[in-house]
Amino acid sequence: MKYLKSWPVWMLMGLIVVALLTVGTTRDNGPLTQSDRIDSITKHIACPTCDGESVYVSRASAAEAIRNQVARDVSAGTLTDDEIIGSIANTFKAKVLLVPRATGVDSLVWILPIAVLVCSIAGLWAAFRRWRRDNSGEASSDDVALVEKLLAEDPTDEDNV
Amino acid sequence: MLGVEGLAGPLGRAALLVGLIGAFFGMIAAVTGTRNEDEKVLRLVPRFATLSCVAAISAFAAMEWAMITRDFSLAYVQKVGSKSTPALYNFTAVWSALEGSILLWVLILTCLTAGIVFKYRTRIADPMVGWAVATMFFVGIFFFILTLGPANPFAAGASGVLDGPGPNPLLQNHILVVFHPPILYLGYVGMTVPFAFAIGALITGRVGEGWLVETRRWALFSWGFLTLGIILGSWWSYEVLGWSGVWAWDPVENASFIPWLTGTAYIHSVLVQERRGMLRVWNLSLLVSTFSLTILGTFLTRSGVLNSVHAFSDSNIGPYLLSFFAIIVVVSVALIGWRGQKLHSPGTIDSPLSREGAFLANNVIFSVFAFVVLLGTVFPLIIEALQNRQLVVGEPFFDKLAVPVGLTLLFLMCIAPVLPWRKASGELLANRLFWPAWGGIGALALSVGVGATGFAPLLTFALGGFAGGAALRQLVLATRRQGLRGLLGRANGGMVVHIGVILIAVALAASNSYTHSQEMMLKQGVVATFNGHTFELTGFTTESDARRTVVAAVVRVDGGKSYTPAITKFKSMGTNIGTPSVKSSFVEDIYLTVEPPIKVSSKTVKIKVFIKPMVMWLWIGGGLMGIGTLLSAFPGRRRKPTDATSAPVPTGAVS
Repeated sequence: MKYLKSWPVWMLMGLIVVALLTVGTTRDNGPLTQSDRIDSITKHIACPTCDGESVYVSRASAAEAIRNQVARDVSAGTLTDDEIIGSIANTFKAKVLLVPRATGVDSLVWILPIAVLVCSIAGLWAAFRRWRRDNSGEASSDDVALVEKLLAEDPTDEDNV
Repeated sequence: MLGVEGLAGPLGRAALLVGLIGAFFGMIAAVTGTRNEDEKVLRLVPRFATLSCVAAISAFAAMEWAMITRDFSLAYVQKVGSKSTPALYNFTAVWSALEGSILLWVLILTCLTAGIVFKYRTRIADPMVGWAVATMFFVGIFFFILTLGPANPFAAGASGVLDGPGPNPLLQNHILVVFHPPILYLGYVGMTVPFAFAIGALITGRVGEGWLVETRRWALFSWGFLTLGIILGSWWSYEVLGWSGVWAWDPVENASFIPWLTGTAYIHSVLVQERRGMLRVWNLSLLVSTFSLTILGTFLTRSGVLNSVHAFSDSNIGPYLLSFFAIIVVVSVALIGWRGQKLHSPGTIDSPLSREGAFLANNVIFSVFAFVVLLGTVFPLIIEALQNRQLVVGEPFFDKLAVPVGLTLLFLMCIAPVLPWRKASGELLANRLFWPAWGGIGALALSVGVGATGFAPLLTFALGGFAGGAALRQLVLATRRQGLRGLLGRANGGMVVHIGVILIAVALAASNSYTHSQEMMLKQGVVATFNGHTFELTGFTTESDARRTVVAAVVRVDGGKSYTPAITKFKSMGTNIGTPSVKSSFVEDIYLTVEPPIKVSSKTVKIKVFIKPMVMWLWIGGGLMGIGTLLSAFPGRRRKPTDATSAPVPTGAVS
């Protein structure tokens, strides 16, 4: 059992994961229907007359009009998804985009989460450093013996370890 | 002289006034009795709590009575009542708009306050209990003031009104309107209890672990109700809204999700404080955040500053809620600052590779997630304030940030359950993670085998299998030792919750990534096919009454049972509401909607079909989360004081 869980087996597991992920991510997704494409595009566009809903979700007439416009563009087959979204955004100005731009003040919505994450990780790192510095006590041989004795009495008890 | 039909208004207003007085004097009695250690005064507290609770029940009953008897002398009944609304939806119409929702809040809050006072009736002289009860009364006073002021459900309406439009059509279209709002409110309002005890602990200076023990079940139940409320809301959205989704990152949805995130962080990190006496300030901050975020969320969605399809209101309640939010935050922060010295934790965390290290990482991720959702929700307000222009932040933004956060949390769910407290060695981890890791590989291989594609969903399935393996391992070990009793307690019940979360993550990844849709023009008697399924229009049904007309297309799916996607026209509002029809199985849902207008005479109908894999596992996962929460509430095996609390440490390895 000890050899079964040794590092070469873990390496093998890692290789299997990489191989499976490679197969899964590089093969063809299969055909998308026109409706799939329309759904995907309209999920990125806000209904201009609704309460924060996307064109995909909304059943309002303005959303219906944009959905029809997207359907026509998809049927024509000349524009990419981004170009279709861009043309709708040009018509209605940026306020129909559900994803804020990464420029100007709008970029704050992207930058702040990353900044908060970085600060949190830095704070955690600093806390662990401080704790490590403060935790200078060493377990005595009596302590270690006590722990081993108690664990030996019930080695399967993991609630407490 | 007032007729019977006009009595509900005065009775309701009187009841609310009595409730306010009861809460006010209850707070005064709790504060003065506690400060002066006057048991005679403290004995009055249960009476005021009962008075306040009975008054709130009476006010709610009066509102129900007004709705049932269609008392159109009240403005609220004029707004959401209708002679043609069926009895069930007429009953639920009470909480279908702002004023009634706040009344429901008051009802739950006063009942909880009375429950707390009853539970601690023999310990009411304990200063921490006294201050906690005073805090609950204070919150109650605020909500009573709302019901008597800007959200008065008993305000008199215009004279001469004989009928109303009824509740929003979306709120009279599905049975879940009975359950989702009250359960969600139980979660929101329930968070008042641990918050109140935290304030009590801060005021009395007893900031050790005692108050945590007092409130851990309340926090767990509130979290459980919030979870259940959110799941039921998603189910409702799926069954009613017709766009085949369960979550749209709508501001109202976010308002419930943000406190759920901080609450989830709290119920994890509280274990570190109970076990190690650490993270006192952090836990207090999480609890204050969770409670204050319920108020902020109510402000954002009920004040009209943010629009939402779920908001169902536009009122002048905003300044009140914002002021209350500010009071809570300022007072809590001041109290935490005041008790700063006592809050200093005596312990340290030995290693990041430990149970408490994993909980800390979990807390960082949950907090960042809560920040992201809050930022995305209020960002349109910030831009409008800064640049006076409108901006919408929607689903693609949240999805983009939620996917890496969700994957990180799944990864932590793989590792954390097998980590010991204090410190783990690489050997121990390799030993404990071995079979769970094979679970992940198995799940990945199965996914690839059935044709799944895409990095994020495949990683979700792999991590789901891994995390599921880790949770099952813990449950197997526990039940092997203790039989079915091994499912009880926070550690083991928590693993059942984890399995529920994993099922939800996998179901969301599959249904969001592999949904296919198609619009089809069905002609009666002609079979159409899509994605390996057949669809045949066999006819139409039409139902009409005073309230609405329902026209449904009868569509036979795969040559078997027929399904009836419909369009409902609500006559008083002239609104068309689509009602989807869903064929569910463990593998996939076939979700049918019908596109208006339906022309029955043409014997054709345009339908949209969504093939959505694994959606049913979302509801099963939600159910498991509920069951796991219940199991967590029962005490598990008690740890003997002499039990070891750390992992085996090789001699000389400790530094």
